Amino acid sequence: MPLPWAAALHRLWRGVSALNDRDDLAEFVLPPLLELPGVRAVWGLRHTADNRMLAYRWAGPPVTEADRPAAAAAAFGPQSVVPAFGTLVAHGAARVVRARFDLPEDVSGSILVAVDDTADLSVISVCLGQVVEVTSEAVRRIALHRVEQRQQIQDALLAEASLQMDAVLDTAQTMQRVARMTVPAIAEGCLVYEYDAGKLILRSAVHVDMRRLNAALADPAEAARFVEFASGVVLGGGPSRQCDKADVQVMRARDRILGVLLFLFDRDADRVPPAEFLHDVASRAAIAVDNSTLYEQRRREVAAMQQHLLPSRLPEVDGLVVAASYTVGDQVLEVGGDFYDVVLREDGTMAALIGDVCGRGVDAAALTGMARHTLAALLQDGASPVRAMSRLNTRLRLNGSWRFVTAGVATVRPDGDGFVVGWTSAGHPAPVVLRRDGPAEPGQGGGSPLGILTEPRLGRSELRLAAGDTLVIFTDGLTESRKPGGRMFEERAFGETLARLRGSAADAVVKELSLAAASYGGVRADDIAVVAIQVRETAS
Amino acid sequence: MIFVVEDSDSDVEAIGRALGRSHPGLEVEFFRSGAEALPRLAHAHPRLMLLDLNMPGESGLDLIRQVRADPALAGLTLVVFTSSEEPAEADACYAAGADSYIYKPLNFALFQSVLSQTLDYWLSRPASGNVARTVVPPSGESSAQT
Repeated sequence: MPLPWAAALHRLWRGVSALNDRDDLAEFVLPPLLELPGVRAVWGLRHTADNRMLAYRWAGPPVTEADRPAAAAAAFGPQSVVPAFGTLVAHGAARVVRARFDLPEDVSGSILVAVDDTADLSVISVCLGQVVEVTSEAVRRIALHRVEQRQQIQDALLAEASLQMDAVLDTAQTMQRVARMTVPAIAEGCLVYEYDAGKLILRSAVHVDMRRLNAALADPAEAARFVEFASGVVLGGGPSRQCDKADVQVMRARDRILGVLLFLFDRDADRVPPAEFLHDVASRAAIAVDNSTLYEQRRREVAAMQQHLLPSRLPEVDGLVVAASYTVGDQVLEVGGDFYDVVLREDGTMAALIGDVCGRGVDAAALTGMARHTLAALLQDGASPVRAMSRLNTRLRLNGSWRFVTAGVATVRPDGDGFVVGWTSAGHPAPVVLRRDGPAEPGQGGGSPLGILTEPRLGRSELRLAAGDTLVIFTDGLTESRKPGGRMFEERAFGETLARLRGSAADAVVKELSLAAASYGGVRADDIAVVAIQVRETAS
Repeated sequence: MIFVVEDSDSDVEAIGRALGRSHPGLEVEFFRSGAEALPRLAHAHPRLMLLDLNMPGESGLDLIRQVRADPALAGLTLVVFTSSEEPAEADACYAAGADSYIYKPLNFALFQSVLSQTLDYWLSRPASGNVARTVVPPSGESSAQT
């Protein structure tokens, strides 16, 4: 065995681990054979195990078009040494030595070494056998690398798709993201159908070439073929894959079919992902779609319930304009405990009530409804605020709930050219009067929350409103809206907003105050209720 | 040859690295803005242009409109490669004349795969045609049925 060959073989074995692509293989393994004494050409043939030719490679003289049939015959024939043929003869070759390798679950290959009369065939055969060993190992490693790379990409896709889908709680957006995340990573196109009342409804469609997909979807016959294919899988019995061109996976969660993902492929068959992986994608998508559907359903229920806890309309009072606003905090999946109402009393005066049941959720909502209706009914029937609050206190204590309620009642009666406000507070934030001609003035709070003491302790004060003045009553969600650093709205921004709102209409006051407080806080943990009572400029 | 219009250094590096691995023979020219790329388009005749949307100066959307306004560049495939998740943005890109609006993943292996698949798709198609092949699966006959 020539000494330089030992070094060449050593280099081949060392280089095997660096190969990641089969296209680089021929350039790596064929040239050392060309250096052996008496070798005139080295040809590498890639073919299937059942002898279908795939590619020709070479070191030295190339495989010409005319040489190909004879080269294939040499590769697939029974003899390991055959006489030289075609252009090889012109290049001085006398014989061709062949070695073939077949690998399980991979394409096969043959190496043909064309030699002249001076070559030692036994040496050539040994060297060729050694190169075949190197090549087989390289092919095995490349296949392994390909599988690992594919797995890595699939894992990354599942992780990133889950992250993207979980980031939204809106069903439509979730379905859009499913399609967008998968194209073209795993398919050239992805259609997302929702399954509703036995029908498939297209919710999202993405393709590398959207014009092409849109053209197909615009054709009723072609669009129907998509649905027909997907329906066949949903209803059972139909194939889930068609000729490596399309694949349907059902999105199923909690034993319900939510829809289907229809993948469209325009790539080589070996690059089409296995059905098991597409099934995993559909499972993740189903979880995300199911979560967002549940979230939307719950959000609708909470919004409806919250609406029932607030008055549907506010009464009209001579000389006054009343406006109210309710802003739901970020914890929108639970009903908040803020409430307000405005009632006309038998004596013609008006009473505005506002309150806050501590906590959120169904329990708090039940108490909120009870507190609002108790106070509103009693005040409407002519009970004084003190009596109405005392009755509510008794009811709360009878209920045995640990929850307490802060509440404030403003009775508003005409007085000369303005109005007098009687403010009764049970631990509720003090009101503010927005003066038409001067700075905003805080009222008094006082008292303790209802539901704690046997006899409630209430704070009472009186305010006077002139034409253009606005009484603002609110819950602590307004003033305690805070920035991530902890600074609260009431520290500075509240006063600045009030100053900016001087002279504004009542509805603008409640809207702007709520908006300013809501945008002030990073995350709004609490609801915000605001009621404004404004004396008309023409009040007499 | 393809053009890449991208102002972010890290994205330029990632795209260069990914294309170097997946398409080693492909000639790629990088530009930091549409203003840099436009004058070269007429002379270089790239097959495809990959672009970011958010760039200093004129946006990627402006660049798409300018390219589509030039009949001489009708065969140029425009691929928007972005991490944005705003559906309206995709609509705006297609309305302006983009051919593809592709999600830019965070994971590099996935990034490389997405980029590679996008190029494989467009570079295997005739420059001016979007009509050659149907996307509809064959109906009635399939390997799974036979």
